Amino acid sequence: MTSTKTRGRRSAGRLSALKTAGIAAVAALALTACAPPGAAEPAPTSGGSSGEAGGTLKVGYISPTTGNFAVAGQEMVDGWNLYWDINGAEVDGITIETIVEDDAGNPETSLTKAHKLVEQDKVDFIVGPLIANTALAVAEYTASVGIPNLHPVAASDDLTQRNANDLTVRTGSMGGSQANFPGGVWAATDGGYDTAVTLCADYAFGWESCAGFVQGFTQNGGEVLEQIWFPNTTTDFSTYVSQIQAAGADVVYVATAGGAPGPNFLNAYQGLGLDPDKLLMNCCALDQGTLRAMGDQVVGVKSVSYWAEGRDSAAVAEFIDAYKEFADGKVPGAYVAGGYMTASLVASVLKEKGLVTGEDLVSAITEYTFEDSIFGRVSWDDYNQMVGPVYVREVTAGDDGNFYNTPIATFEDVDQWLGRTPEEALAQPTYSQSFQGLE
Amino acid sequence: MSNRIVETRTVRTFGPPRRDRVQLMNLGLLAALLVAALALPYLGASSFVVSLASTILIAATLASSVNFLAGNGGMVSLGHAGIAAASAYGAGWASRQGFDPGMQVVFALGMTLAASLVYGLLSMRTSGIYFLMVTLAVGMLIYGLAFRLSSVTGGENGISGIARPEWMDSYWIYYYVVLGAFVIATAVLWIVGNSPFGASLRGIRDSESRMRSLGYSVRSYKLGAFMISGSVAGLAGLLAVWHTHFVSPSTAGVDRSVHLIVMVILGGIGTLLGPLIGAAVVVLVENVLSSHVDRWPTILGLIFILVILFARAGIAGSTRKLFRRLRARSKEAPPPDRGAPGGTAVPDGTNPARHDATPEGKDLQ
Repeated sequence: MTSTKTRGRRSAGRLSALKTAGIAAVAALALTACAPPGAAEPAPTSGGSSGEAGGTLKVGYISPTTGNFAVAGQEMVDGWNLYWDINGAEVDGITIETIVEDDAGNPETSLTKAHKLVEQDKVDFIVGPLIANTALAVAEYTASVGIPNLHPVAASDDLTQRNANDLTVRTGSMGGSQANFPGGVWAATDGGYDTAVTLCADYAFGWESCAGFVQGFTQNGGEVLEQIWFPNTTTDFSTYVSQIQAAGADVVYVATAGGAPGPNFLNAYQGLGLDPDKLLMNCCALDQGTLRAMGDQVVGVKSVSYWAEGRDSAAVAEFIDAYKEFADGKVPGAYVAGGYMTASLVASVLKEKGLVTGEDLVSAITEYTFEDSIFGRVSWDDYNQMVGPVYVREVTAGDDGNFYNTPIATFEDVDQWLGRTPEEALAQPTYSQSFQGLE
Repeated sequence: MSNRIVETRTVRTFGPPRRDRVQLMNLGLLAALLVAALALPYLGASSFVVSLASTILIAATLASSVNFLAGNGGMVSLGHAGIAAASAYGAGWASRQGFDPGMQVVFALGMTLAASLVYGLLSMRTSGIYFLMVTLAVGMLIYGLAFRLSSVTGGENGISGIARPEWMDSYWIYYYVVLGAFVIATAVLWIVGNSPFGASLRGIRDSESRMRSLGYSVRSYKLGAFMISGSVAGLAGLLAVWHTHFVSPSTAGVDRSVHLIVMVILGGIGTLLGPLIGAAVVVLVENVLSSHVDRWPTILGLIFILVILFARAGIAGSTRKLFRRLRARSKEAPPPDRGAPGGTAVPDGTNPARHDATPEGKDLQ
């Protein structure tokens, strides 16, 4: 950039300007030899503190409130805020202060926001984000700086398996395979089905969900005839439904990641006149979004999930009433439940242990057994994953004009290892189209 | 703004250089910018601000590679995020196999060259909208591979825990590494752009048939330009993965490539510092403004629309125009070294309107 071949009358002035610039650049370069003042700052507290009364707990909440996942992201934030609105943002003198950040579902933005929350806002822990890859990226960063990371929704198995660490804990959801394994068990036993065909979204979440189902099904004597995969962007399911029809299995297991595929599939399935009694869907194919869109058409359809809004429990009733008031009579789905569950868990732990941060907060959570959570009785395993009930649910029409997923069978204390030891499970490859955990 | 330098150098390939106070100011501005960038960590900026600056510089490096092709070759690529992602996955895969960072560089380089070659070979026969579609398709292919080939790429979850070399572990040293890479990449692209090779590229941009009839191998020039641009994109990909320690399919997403073009257009196609300005605007809106404003995507969209409507030459290009107009007014006469605005017969290619009038600029509107 600095041509010194100067000519003409003004060369002297130019030279001196260049010199000045050069000297400044050299001076700046020399400065870089020593560390800037900020670099010497101690890293955020990693040991954590415990047992103090009073004070403020600063929470960073990362969620995609814009972009493709905005609806789910906003629900996840609503659930968290709803709990503090009902119960007050203060637990035994500890004030909860939440800073919500939007990551638009983009891992790079997620990470930048995590940096901002930790380094600039000095939060005590981070909740979220939602999408699997953003969650894994943030969990690794927060662990490296000693900040706990609570996950209300992210379903990636590896978050609490291959990528598990002491500071990452899943507080409001289950892994994809964990939540669907009991569905397979139920179908092969109480459901009384002998053969199955599966239709799952063709990416990590679908692979994991399907792997959970087929393992539960085959371990209990069922036979999987065919596994069909659909791209997440599919809108017309008629070809898949024909394949399902041709397979002629007793039960059809369907896993989507939520959104439009659920209703689109159901429309195609019912449009071809297939039997809805043969269907077993995952959490998200038959979530509140699908129920609101399909209404009467899906009454009686079964699904499997850790969240059942139609469960008869005081905690669930309180939550649903509060959310209905907040959201013009809507019933909360799993994302709202995840946020609410995480908030109620944090409140319960603070009540018991006082102000805890850092690793102490994570161990306080994982040692805790949440008896009457909105999910039922929940505890945590050594990999910081939720161990709790999974419900086989059936759509029922409520008195209030809403539709509910009501449990017809309950599997208590479901862990994430699908009947294996943790070592065996971790030695397997990750689930994919070609590997579903079957021998 | 300082991209004035580009023009002066452009002149040099056609005739004797013209130097005046403006150029001196440009040089001074560049030096001041560099000094400010070097001093940033010492000015009390927090580690967050410094790492945000690294993010901007990495995005700017990647945008520079798109800008080089668009500005000199008239080739607007909608797939450059794919090249950066290929490089990042190369490093990520090497890291997952337990190789040290040196090997990560080797794999990143190999993946970059392979991906650039595929892009280049497939797109060298095309131009305009067809070039855009071919690069888009190859970009989608890379995204698809990253998404589906989970045994190698980790599928949607991506690869995490990718460590950079130990000596650049601290955030501020890494910032200087990124800054150095950006300065070198920009300098290299500028030198290439103003070499006879760059002049030939601009010739191809303005009239492919004329260059062909003059005996130029248009395809080879296009392939060469793509390899150079791809290498810079690969460098940005490696820097990004060392910055975030993480790579996932969204790195290769088409929205990322679109963002790059937005950066280039915001800053000004074919300008030296345009990519930096564009990257700064986009990254700051995405990461800082979004903390305060819920509807930040709307604001980004509005900025883009306003730039397209009122400042077609981008922020850098339009600032330069404005500055020149003010100067002309203060002198009560048009600058003597410029042709009439929008003049039809400007043989030396220095008229800034030429940049605006390139066909790909219109395609994007």
